Amino acid sequence: MSPELEKCPRSLLVCEKSNFMNEKSRHDIHVSKHSFNYKISVLIPECAVLPANISGVISNFSPYYLVRDLPVYELLQEKSYETVLQKGTVYAVSYNTKIDEDNSIALLPSVVTLNLRDKTLAPGTKRYQRVLSGLKDRLPLRYDFLFTEHNTGGDEDNSLYNLLSQYKPIEHKAVLSHHTLKNLPCPTLYPSDLQGTTLSCDPHSFLEWLGAVNLDISCENAADSFLSTYICPEPKSSVSQALLCTITGFISPEDVYLLLQELRYDLKHCCRFPERCFLTMTKLYISHKLFFNCTSCAHRKYFDEPKFTPWLSLTVHGFMDSPVSWGATEHGFLKGGENFYNLVCFKNQDYWLHMATGAHDGCPP
Amino acid sequence: MEEPTTFERHVYKNASVYHYMKISLDLENGKRSFSDAQFKQLIISALKELYGEVGAAFPFDLLKFDPSSLKAILRVYNKGLVKLWSALTLLGSYQNEACAFRVIQVSPFLLALSGNSRELQFGESLTS
Repeated sequence: MSPELEKCPRSLLVCEKSNFMNEKSRHDIHVSKHSFNYKISVLIPECAVLPANISGVISNFSPYYLVRDLPVYELLQEKSYETVLQKGTVYAVSYNTKIDEDNSIALLPSVVTLNLRDKTLAPGTKRYQRVLSGLKDRLPLRYDFLFTEHNTGGDEDNSLYNLLSQYKPIEHKAVLSHHTLKNLPCPTLYPSDLQGTTLSCDPHSFLEWLGAVNLDISCENAADSFLSTYICPEPKSSVSQALLCTITGFISPEDVYLLLQELRYDLKHCCRFPERCFLTMTKLYISHKLFFNCTSCAHRKYFDEPKFTPWLSLTVHGFMDSPVSWGATEHGFLKGGENFYNLVCFKNQDYWLHMATGAHDGCPP
Repeated sequence: MEEPTTFERHVYKNASVYHYMKISLDLENGKRSFSDAQFKQLIISALKELYGEVGAAFPFDLLKFDPSSLKAILRVYNKGLVKLWSALTLLGSYQNEACAFRVIQVSPFLLALSGNSRELQFGESLTS
């Protein structure tokens, strides 16, 4: 048998561990540079209901717009340039274009091959006119686009919508779905052991397990099963319940960051001193569900029974057909279009960050 | 309370043991009922047809199977990926009925299969 048959493309996984409070922590940079996010998945062990503060943050996510058949030169028109693009909070990616078959376009807020914030490309300059006429007359590209803009709460928040109004943009909100998983086998994680050499499982096994949870794949199989031998990695424990929450749409990195901050806040304030919280907790019934109200930190608990999650996980999937992954690092599809990162947040504010891209892509930052 | 951790960074190259495949089966005369065991047996017979009894003797897992859409997720050791993929591609019939396996997504990360942005549809006809 030819040895060529046993080769496969490279895989690349970058893992970091640090602490959110560490001055040099780069978690915020990694989140902000991953511009084109399609799906967020949050897993909170020992949690049964979606906490109100988390659903509040998600419902405040900026809307996104689908614009059909938009000529690319519209993005460079003087009006759009001044009112929207210069602000640097607009993200756009061509929709329904496959990067391995079609041309794909992405508008980054800061750096692109055609740098829209370059001074030599300011309206009125020769270079600007040349690019504009090129896209208008010589290469009249038109695509369906998805747009989103981070809401800053200012008066100009409608500027993106106004700019696109003649192309009849359709507004969409990110779709939230969540459900509670019961009796879930769950790997045990220790923040100090990222590589899984002694206490935790290794990063690939953890990501495999997380994938199995997200895809509703059973991990209770016998070693001699005909169908599947997949089992939860060791060391493991069984959690009585876990909340799996997914948000799908076109999500700006700013919104991802806000969600991360809220998740961190909950972990920090509700789980840091569980003993103290127990002493001051009062019971609260909302819609026949039992909550615990922690009066010492003035914050509602996740849990409808007194257990505390030692960690939670946030996974962010980028668009598989985005031409870039982080910053301006090139991204392709090849066979799977991997373009995601995962943050495991621990209650002492330590975190693990896993970043993965495709076989021929640039290395994550 | 544990002490806050120190910064660490590791780059794993080709450290993944498995590849994962999301596939679906198209049959010429539409859907028919398959059990998960029948579905896996069909893939095994495709492997044997192409590589023979010995060449096809490597393990793979049917992690998930949806009988209504005939979509499945497979897990295979890296060195079996090309053989499995080629056997799926070259299978042309099932019980004298033309059929084809479609490979939707292949990744060394199972997690990547849970976030397929090509599934983002808005339920309206596309303008040409």
